Amino acid sequence: MSSKSKKTPRKEQHFFEDPAIDRLMGTVMALASEVFVLRTRLIDLESQLAKSDLVDITHLSTPTDAAQTNATKAEAEAFSEAILKPLLGLQDALGAQFENLVIKI
Amino acid sequence: METREFEAAQEFLLAAKNYWTTTMYRTIKATYAELEAGLKESSERPTKATEALQKNTLYRYFAWLERHLQRMKYSGRYGLVPFHSERRSDLLKDIIAKHQDKFSPELQPDLALPNYYKNTDIHQHPGDLWSDEIAGVVYEFGARSTTPLLGNSHDDLHSRFTSLLADGSSYDQILDMGCGFGKSTMPFVQRFPSAHIEGIDLSAPCLLLGAQRARQAKHKNVHYEQMNAEQTSYEDESFDLVTSTMLLHEIPTKAIKNLFDEAFRVLRPGGRMAHLDFHVIPDEFHRLLHYGHSVRNNEPFMRGLAELDLKKVLSEKGFENVELSQFAESENAHPKANDAWRFPWTVISATKPAD
Repeated sequence: MSSKSKKTPRKEQHFFEDPAIDRLMGTVMALASEVFVLRTRLIDLESQLAKSDLVDITHLSTPTDAAQTNATKAEAEAFSEAILKPLLGLQDALGAQFENLVIKI
Repeated sequence: METREFEAAQEFLLAAKNYWTTTMYRTIKATYAELEAGLKESSERPTKATEALQKNTLYRYFAWLERHLQRMKYSGRYGLVPFHSERRSDLLKDIIAKHQDKFSPELQPDLALPNYYKNTDIHQHPGDLWSDEIAGVVYEFGARSTTPLLGNSHDDLHSRFTSLLADGSSYDQILDMGCGFGKSTMPFVQRFPSAHIEGIDLSAPCLLLGAQRARQAKHKNVHYEQMNAEQTSYEDESFDLVTSTMLLHEIPTKAIKNLFDEAFRVLRPGGRMAHLDFHVIPDEFHRLLHYGHSVRNNEPFMRGLAELDLKKVLSEKGFENVELSQFAESENAHPKANDAWRFPWTVISATKPAD
């Protein structure tokens, strides 16, 4: 079986008169998704914390060490790419390309 | 990507889709009704109302969300494709059997895949179902939320279709065209344990998964093979029932007609052909949503099927008893019971004349 071939990305569809709105919505929804994932982790973490004495919650605001800093930097890069990639206005999968399509019935 | 993060993100996307399916759909529908009521009465009024609706701000968000919730489901940071790709080797161990056995599908590595199949990533699934070994697994996961409101009862729609066809009828040989990973095939396997079922598809990854699921369930009365439904290798008059579920709207009109010809050829006299798909659309508002879905969700052939004069085409090909019936995919599918966005489910049924 052949592996997925690389394809030249196609321009993304847009639905608003100003395509900037379409791209901005992409960023907004990506952010919303991230916020929800974060909330879920936080809820899980707080739940675990409440059940055990393994973490002293008052120490969470102390400065991080180098390893943690590097890990956070890598995470920030991946996070930022996910949030900002929709602004490029390119399709992830092959589909029709159009602008301001009005469907005639 | 941790599983918990993936699950959380997909939960968010499903919840957003449910909001789109219910609250946004109902608001759009009410907006359309207002627009239509405000226009001068004429035969063109519904059409003009659909054009006016497409300039409405909320409709633009409705359209945007339809496309991009699906895109994020497959391709986003927490999408199905990256999540499963990270687990590729484990998934392949689950899909690929250690040895060839009676459950193994017959694959045709040299089968020429149609250009229409390769040129669009259907459902916005990058690489679609043919180019990646794990595509079947990705599709299996994604299929769970094809009809968002069905939730855990998504399997009901396939069982309901099988029950409809089983009503007063029995079959010895069944052909499920475009069977994918066997989601539509399995209800037939279970419903007709004494029948033999052939499942065919263009996608080798899907067939491998379908065969593995049959192996795990020890279903011996099903066999999967890689074939183009427009031109199979079966002998004339091989089957009592030829069926498909959600296949026709994914292929061009010419391919649909070829498929009907092939079904006619392989059906025994008196045999039945039945397809569950999308065809009977109640009004212009829903036609707009359906055609919009076609463009937005990378399913370019939906409009072709919707506008095909099926009764005429099937009659010309020699079929009789042609019926196009609206289909309820769940207990509360009727608009009066549950006013939400749904596909225009239709059973397309016909029989081959008996000798």
